Amino acid sequence: MKRRRSGEILSPTARTARGVLAAILIVYTFTTVFVIGITLLDSLKTKGDLVSNFVGLPKAISFDSYKKILFEGDFINYFKNSIILTVGGTVGCTFLAALTAYGISRYDFKGKSFLTAYFLIGMMVPVQVSVLPLFLILKKIGLLNKLPGMILVYMAGISMACFVFQKFFRTIPVELEESARLDGAGDFTIFFCIIIPVCKPVIATMALITAIQEWNDFYMPMVLLGSKNVKSLTLAIYQYISQFTRYMSESMAAVIITLIPVIILYFLFSSQIVEGLTGGAVKG
Amino acid sequence: MGKMRKKKHILFIAPGFILYTIFIILPIFYVFYLSVFEWSGLGEMKFVGLENFKTLIFNDRVAPTMFNALKNNLKYLLCVWLIITPFQYLIAYLLYIKIPAFKYIKFMIFMPYVISSTIVSFFATLLFSPNIGFLNKFFEWIGHSEWQSAWFGDPNRAFKLMIILIIWQGAGSGIMIFYSNLMDISQDIMESCRIDGCNEWQRFFRILLPLSLPSCASIITMSTIWALAIFDMPFILGGINGGVNGCLDFANMVFYRYTFGSGLNGKSNLGFGASICVLMFVVMLVVTVLQNKFLSKFEYDT
Repeated sequence: MKRRRSGEILSPTARTARGVLAAILIVYTFTTVFVIGITLLDSLKTKGDLVSNFVGLPKAISFDSYKKILFEGDFINYFKNSIILTVGGTVGCTFLAALTAYGISRYDFKGKSFLTAYFLIGMMVPVQVSVLPLFLILKKIGLLNKLPGMILVYMAGISMACFVFQKFFRTIPVELEESARLDGAGDFTIFFCIIIPVCKPVIATMALITAIQEWNDFYMPMVLLGSKNVKSLTLAIYQYISQFTRYMSESMAAVIITLIPVIILYFLFSSQIVEGLTGGAVKG
Repeated sequence: MGKMRKKKHILFIAPGFILYTIFIILPIFYVFYLSVFEWSGLGEMKFVGLENFKTLIFNDRVAPTMFNALKNNLKYLLCVWLIITPFQYLIAYLLYIKIPAFKYIKFMIFMPYVISSTIVSFFATLLFSPNIGFLNKFFEWIGHSEWQSAWFGDPNRAFKLMIILIIWQGAGSGIMIFYSNLMDISQDIMESCRIDGCNEWQRFFRILLPLSLPSCASIITMSTIWALAIFDMPFILGGINGGVNGCLDFANMVFYRYTFGSGLNGKSNLGFGASICVLMFVVMLVVTVLQNKFLSKFEYDT
């Protein structure tokens, strides 16, 4: 009999029960493979093939739907917008959060605990509550329906990253900074040349999950990026779904293209993503 | 030197502080401010006091929609507490006791969490679309056409289906948090529990559950807040009007309709939209406070 981590010895009934539960869960996880698989197969069918043969292998592999969305219409533009939004928002937000967290956690000053709490508010108030004012503020400063405006809003959402970084920065020994200071390094040199390299893993993790969230975001781009030339990928997919029968083959290819980056990231960094979304964020 | 050092923190904090204040904190106050005005977005703002809230709660046309939406929000919240969270905890426990293939299950069960809810809604369309959806086709193929359904077009099923989709997409995060909380429980306790000869049920209900629940309070709070703010999926699947008979209507969608859609009585009143946000905010606050009071009862002195 196998001894488990907790040391108990399993009865045959318990082992069967565990086996059955595992089987159920494995079947459950197949739904993911199934829906992504169908979409992938469907995206490789010609339009006629797709209509007559919705589920099943394509008669012949065809890249028509990809060619169509990549070379006709605005899809490529939406793709570019999503890249700009995600990269701009992620780099900006992570960098700002690191700066802020460093300022709060490594210096002594009055109102430190107030600031810590102040930066947490953003985690507790969902953006849905404040989207109307955001709309008006961006309109006022002339950045509504513009990518930089949306990026600024993403950059401002530093609550979670700032919280995680603060926890991490506190664990860095002070001696590290002190010795650099004695060698004549300024505050920003210390931050860029010592703190950032030491914290690379946690910074990368936060950047990763920020990027995934921004890439997937639907609500804010819908409200804040109304005009056609600034739309993001999720909005394009929404458009295709709302006229599904008309854009069936296009939407398959669009979904696959939008999905590929996050799925690749997940396969490469699943443990970091899980840790970033769960470990530092809401625990403790 | 010491003094210089003390001042430098401002340079680090200021950029983040300014952006965060403008785009995250200011809007919260701004929405409260707007809610007592009648304003089309252009021209004069007319102070109306609590008039917007009165319309929201007593107006014959608006109030039923609003209360129906809030009812759906609370229904979803009940699902979070009674179905989704226990489900997540159960899966986390199964991973903790290392059921066969638990590494694969852990990997796959979290995956949909990184998929956009737009794409999840797309998958739902693939499966549940009444005309071309996979499920109806499948029932026809196996000769059980009577099992076919309008799915999201059927008011009795739409809500349940959406909960299933939400579990499929979002349960992963809670599972992982519960799982890591379980893993944090000290091995000494598990060891002494084994020596004392307690069985699996006792171990689960007397040791694991009480020791890991308090640290779960924050994830339950977060799911509560998100349950009250849900928008993407019902909007894409049920349309802007919240599905058949408003079965997929939620507070946030009412807000969206009145603010960015057709508006109230055909004219746009941003103050009215803001009052819906304020109402949502208040409901969130009340529910979260009550819930944390309730959860703190379970806290053990360890």
